[in-house]
Amino acid sequence: MASVASNWVSPPTRTPLIENLVSGVDRYNPSNVGILEDYLYHQTRSQEYDCLANLAILKLYQFNPDLYNPDVVINILIKALTSAPFPDFNLCISLLDDRAANTNPDEPDPLPSLLPTLTMLYNLLQQCRFPAFWALYRSDEVESLRDNYTVECAGFEDAVRDVVIRAVKAAFTRIGRERLGTYLDLTGSDLDIHVAKLGWSIDSSTGVVTVPPNPDNRIESTVVQENIQLPQLTKVITHASQTA
Amino acid sequence: MSQQRKALWEAELDEDLQDVDLNLAIGSYGQSGLYDDAQSRIDEATLLAVQQQMAQQAAFSQIPDVVKRFIVHFHQAVLDNNLAEITVAYESGWNRLTEKFYSKTEWPEAEVIAPLVNDDQIFLILYRELYYRHVYSRLQPDIDDRFHSYENSCELFNYLLNSDGPVPLELPEQWLWDIIDEFIYQYQAFCVWRSKVKSKTDEELILLADASQVWSSYSVLNVLYSLIQKSKINEHLSALQEGKKAEEIAEIVGEFGVRPLYRMLGYFSLIGLLRVHSLLGDFTLALKVMESIELNQKSPFTRVTACHVTTYYYVGFCYIMLRRYPDAIRAFVSILNFILRMRQYHTRSYQYDQINKTADRMYALFAICNALSPTRLDDNISGIVKERYGEQFSKMSRGEEGIPAFEELFLYACPKFISANPPPYDDAELLAAYVEDPPVEPAQRHLALFLSEVRSQAPVPTLRSFLKLYASLDAKKLANFLDADEEEMVQQMMVMKQASRSVSRVENEKGLLDGQTISTSDLDFVIDDNMVHIAESTVGRRYAGWFIRNTEHAQRVFDTLRNAPLPALPKLNAAPVATSGTSDAPASAPRTGGQRVAWGGVKTA
Repeated sequence: MASVASNWVSPPTRTPLIENLVSGVDRYNPSNVGILEDYLYHQTRSQEYDCLANLAILKLYQFNPDLYNPDVVINILIKALTSAPFPDFNLCISLLDDRAANTNPDEPDPLPSLLPTLTMLYNLLQQCRFPAFWALYRSDEVESLRDNYTVECAGFEDAVRDVVIRAVKAAFTRIGRERLGTYLDLTGSDLDIHVAKLGWSIDSSTGVVTVPPNPDNRIESTVVQENIQLPQLTKVITHASQTA
Repeated sequence: MSQQRKALWEAELDEDLQDVDLNLAIGSYGQSGLYDDAQSRIDEATLLAVQQQMAQQAAFSQIPDVVKRFIVHFHQAVLDNNLAEITVAYESGWNRLTEKFYSKTEWPEAEVIAPLVNDDQIFLILYRELYYRHVYSRLQPDIDDRFHSYENSCELFNYLLNSDGPVPLELPEQWLWDIIDEFIYQYQAFCVWRSKVKSKTDEELILLADASQVWSSYSVLNVLYSLIQKSKINEHLSALQEGKKAEEIAEIVGEFGVRPLYRMLGYFSLIGLLRVHSLLGDFTLALKVMESIELNQKSPFTRVTACHVTTYYYVGFCYIMLRRYPDAIRAFVSILNFILRMRQYHTRSYQYDQINKTADRMYALFAICNALSPTRLDDNISGIVKERYGEQFSKMSRGEEGIPAFEELFLYACPKFISANPPPYDDAELLAAYVEDPPVEPAQRHLALFLSEVRSQAPVPTLRSFLKLYASLDAKKLANFLDADEEEMVQQMMVMKQASRSVSRVENEKGLLDGQTISTSDLDFVIDDNMVHIAESTVGRRYAGWFIRNTEHAQRVFDTLRNAPLPALPKLNAAPVATSGTSDAPASAPRTGGQRVAWGGVKTA
């Protein structure tokens, strides 16, 4: 099975055309930015995610400030948000060089006003403060982000829930139904359906959800002893036999 | 002998200068563009030419004879492609004469020494490469130096890349590395210098307004990628990994790639890309371009120590920014041990300082990683880190209150980040706005991002210290100990779990970005509804590495002693040999104060 990292480096959904742009020198050609931007919009519609391709867009923006399109940047950041706990969001921010203040009053740049909110949302996810994340996300403050951007990003809320599930799965063997509900921002039958979809079971009498065993929630104490491999001793033995 | 030679150069000199000056005179006439008083212009031009000639002659006569001899000899070595002689001139002669004559001034300009080398343009480009490198490292480069060193680099790479077929030049590997290394250094230095608008003179502002292409990121990347493609180095490395035979590889890499000059420049350009992308904050791409490089110390491409050290420094740093601390730690441990071991064998002193500085920064980065992801990978390195950064390390292991220590070490040890684009020198209005409200410096931006990752796992050390005391306990009880709300504490536990997992290259996966999720902590736990269960793994102390290293070392010392000639007479020069033998022994101990002594000892031996 392909590892988390190799899926991240080259998602199976990436087409050869995009692969060529991500891995070759054509990634620097400003005229290819359209192809990558279209691919980003494809990602927002189809729940696919390709971090490296999106970083390639930001790279082109970094080198060619004229290409800069704030909507694209915001969409990239929204996609990156839900790959927590991996640091994709910060890897993207890292490429956003500080640019001169926007000089065109007709087309105000929405990024500067949204960036602090996005960063806050990211930090809440990184700190596993899921109820606080939902509270902020649903607040009036974030209305413009919701109405203009995340609504267009198919499955955004479920992607956030996947972040939650990754965290819960690793830390719990059993978790209270209500607690899980506040993390997932789901109640009642919605919550039950979501839990059932994961293949987790709810004990209806106690209201406790059982998380199936996985490598991260099975713990055991071990003692690791040092093993010496023969190749480590090559030099010592060679020398001994040479001088013998 | 030397007297005769000197006379010969002077004879050549006059003729050559005549040529140069004639061109110069015609040049200024062509450019003046004023026809009405052309006559007086010509006179002025001639006058200027004469003055220039006199100035150059004066400059030439200022050059000490030993320097002239050196340049002629150096030129001959380059003409002969005599690597041994070039190496001596490059690594020892140049530095010795710099110390003696040019420690505070420039070397003679290329135009002045041109007659010594028959106006050999290729040699003059190489000479300028050294000339500017000396200006950058010893003096303050002015704007002309910065522009001209860029032009010279372009000429050099143009010659290498756009000649008909591979050029018949051979240079020592160290020099080739230094060419790429310096090229990127000057680019980085230029970007930093250019970002400081306030200190620019009017003349500099005008020059910068027209010169957006000088040291542009595109032009630098273009050079590096061109060298990589010309040399087919990626294909070469893949073929090596597939175990192809030398003839097959020669077929694959073509007429350029078979030549050591192109092969090494190609390889060094890959490392150069790693560095440039890191400086620009693209840590993913930095590691991606290294896809075909296998990180180990047996590769034939690792003979240049400085390159080797640079590679591991940037790879380790990128891993930190990707939150892959175990991989970063592994990179640092491996290279720091290498540096410790090679310390006593190296005699080429001009790089020691640089390598030492980088090593010290890597100890700082190691301390950062170890605070974020505690391991016991290597007691030797951990020991040195405790010695140098013990204070910061204990602060960093205490969560939120350790943030200033993270900040201090990060800023000390991070690469010199740059912004990809210049301030808007071509637009006075925008430039004024830029000065008014300058953007955050790149290093500060990256620091803020790094600290946000650090902050998110700030509660971990405290939780950890409590969990260590129990096999299981009630979540409510734990929350009470921590003086925290139970829900808040549970969320922090999830953070702790995430912090104890990391993507890492455990099985030497192909490509530096690949890897699998591993557990990085000896303390693991799980929450069963409201009960926290804790399991601790213990790692036995590792002895083997230490004993193996010291056995090997003892064997070497023994060999040296056995092979040393017996002292014939007690009063003769046999004594230094004996002392160098014994001074080797303590050098392997992690004793920072001893480094210089140990190296110095070897050097004089």
